Amino acid sequence: MIVPMSHILIFSGIMFFLGFACVLAQRNLIMILIGVEVMLNAVGVTLAGASALWQQVDGQIFVIFLMAMTSAEVSISLAVVVYLSRRKKTIEADAFSEMNG
Amino acid sequence: MNEKLLFLIPLLPLAAGVLNALFGRRLPRALVAGLAVGGVALATLSTVVFWPLAAGEGTRATLYTWMASDNLRVPVAILFDPLAASMSLMVTFVSTLIHLYAVGYMAEEGGNARFFALLNLFVFAMLTIVLADNLLLLFLGWEGVGFCSYALIGFWFREEKNALAGRKAFLVTRAGDVFFGIAMLWLFAATGTLSISGINQAASALPPDTLFWLTLLLLTGACGKSAQLPLMTWLPDAMAGPTPVSALIHAATMVTAGVYLLGRLFPLVSLSPAGMATIAAVGALTAIYAASCALAQREIKRVLAYSTMSQVGYMFLAVGVGAVGGAMFHLYVHAFFKALLFMGAGCVIHLTGGENDIHRMGGLGRRSPLVFWSFLAGALCLAGAPLTGGFFSKDAILLAAFVAGGLYFKILWGIAATTALLTAVYTFRLLYLVFAGAPRTAGASHRLPAAMTWTLPPLALLGVFGGLFNLPTAWGGDGALGEFLGPLAGEQVHASHALEWGLAGLATGLFLVGWLAARWRYASYRGERPSPAKTFFLHGWQADRLVDVLLVRPFRVLADFFWQWVDRKGIDGFLEGGGASLMRLGGALRRLTTGRVHSYLAGFAWGLIAILAWMLAGFIE
Repeated sequence: MIVPMSHILIFSGIMFFLGFACVLAQRNLIMILIGVEVMLNAVGVTLAGASALWQQVDGQIFVIFLMAMTSAEVSISLAVVVYLSRRKKTIEADAFSEMNG
Repeated sequence: MNEKLLFLIPLLPLAAGVLNALFGRRLPRALVAGLAVGGVALATLSTVVFWPLAAGEGTRATLYTWMASDNLRVPVAILFDPLAASMSLMVTFVSTLIHLYAVGYMAEEGGNARFFALLNLFVFAMLTIVLADNLLLLFLGWEGVGFCSYALIGFWFREEKNALAGRKAFLVTRAGDVFFGIAMLWLFAATGTLSISGINQAASALPPDTLFWLTLLLLTGACGKSAQLPLMTWLPDAMAGPTPVSALIHAATMVTAGVYLLGRLFPLVSLSPAGMATIAAVGALTAIYAASCALAQREIKRVLAYSTMSQVGYMFLAVGVGAVGGAMFHLYVHAFFKALLFMGAGCVIHLTGGENDIHRMGGLGRRSPLVFWSFLAGALCLAGAPLTGGFFSKDAILLAAFVAGGLYFKILWGIAATTALLTAVYTFRLLYLVFAGAPRTAGASHRLPAAMTWTLPPLALLGVFGGLFNLPTAWGGDGALGEFLGPLAGEQVHASHALEWGLAGLATGLFLVGWLAARWRYASYRGERPSPAKTFFLHGWQADRLVDVLLVRPFRVLADFFWQWVDRKGIDGFLEGGGASLMRLGGALRRLTTGRVHSYLAGFAWGLIAILAWMLAGFIE
């Protein structure tokens, strides 16, 4: 393998935590969704790397599943975001706290 | 003759009562009254028709088996023997007259259907007691009369006083019934049967201790129903009910059920000398207690209520000295003249426009001679005027007590003789205050319906000539009732004719002394003279207060403790406290759900960190 597995893992770990930090730190719904995408893709990198490591095709199939799932998720999420922004004229996540206990 | 037809006697009043209970509201008044009177009158007629069946051992009839389980067999069976036959004849006959009287009495009152349905139901229950061949069936009637008594005392339940009186009667008699129930269970455990004749046969095999306790338990049950010491406080208050109810239930029939029960189980009771002595003592003490209370009563019906209690005490004394025949003789004669007195009292109350207080009556002799002469006949019987029915029946009891032997029974005889004197005094006090002199209040008089006045003379005749039913041999009679009852009459009284004449003379003397004392004091009205002793007797020796202090208040305190502390603070406190703390916990936890995405995401982050830290710790180890 050209790229060692440890590099892949370090790269995807950094990517994951960058996405995670984005999710936690951003108040904007779109930015949070982007953070989630980054985290999902970090996992995809790991899966592709592992597939190459063990010479098994399962990992790559999973990545394709992941892409399909992600596209579906993004389409729904964006629809929700559009709906929310119409309701309150804002997409700040903290503005939507009606579900409090 | 088919012996199953005997069931007609109790079932006819039941049928009339059920019809009235179901459809009485829609029927015209006359039909309601006609059904009620007709049901009871037909029962009287059938008792007369079936009378020959009672001869000798009597007739047994079984309708069906009520309960059967293992060796418990309770058939709905009746025993029509001389004791039951004579008692049911008395009950049905007196009931018929009182029902007729009630038609007049209730003519201007509401709720006729309810009244007559309950009255008929009462007659059915009473006849069940009288005719039942086993204790459980008897107990059914026993509770039935208790319920009807409760419902009829509180007939005018809109006034709280009446409803309370009904409740008191129900609860106090129920206290006695508990003991009767225990006695019944014990009898079944000891003899394996509930049949009265079976129990009486098996009784001689029981150990003396058991017999004594059984007698005491039965006595307590009888005391509750018959208003004897110490369960007597309900009877004076029971006068809150309509007068026909007082006459039927609280004078003629139900209150004598205790005597009848002891008479039925006499073969068992008589085996325990200590038990018999207790019965006699309870009877004698109640007799004098009630007579002393009657001396000071102000309400006409309460005087009669206490006199009933006192006369039933005589009957208990008679059973206690073994003279069941004497007890039954007094029971019948007493039923006639006491029903008469109550019905007369109802007429008097009607005449004075609802006045109850004898100090505010007076001069009624001229207003209605028929009522006066009938009432006088009843009063003479009660006071024991020579040659009246009451004289002979009371004399028979006094004689039986006198010859029962031993100092103990002589003392009881002395008490009973003193009671006879007191009886004469209070009876004539009542007579003088109500009928003599000038009217002391000008109350508006109600018109007396004919049904109320013309039912009095037959009872007056029966009361005055009641002695003929059981004229002692010393008077040239043959003791017919005793002969008829045969072995059921208990022990034979053996006394010389000289002793009988001596005691009769003494009774006459006591009657005359009592009359003269009352005449001296009350012949001309001299106003009320209140004194502490009178108040004491007026309130029945403060028995109500004693019960209040000894039972009601401790019970209330205990109930209050269980309510306020055990239930409210203990059980409720525990459960509600648990609920409240869970609510608080929930309240604290709900602050976690802020509804903001970021706090949830922060939760994820911390969870992730915790999992990673845990895995890292595992990895390092």
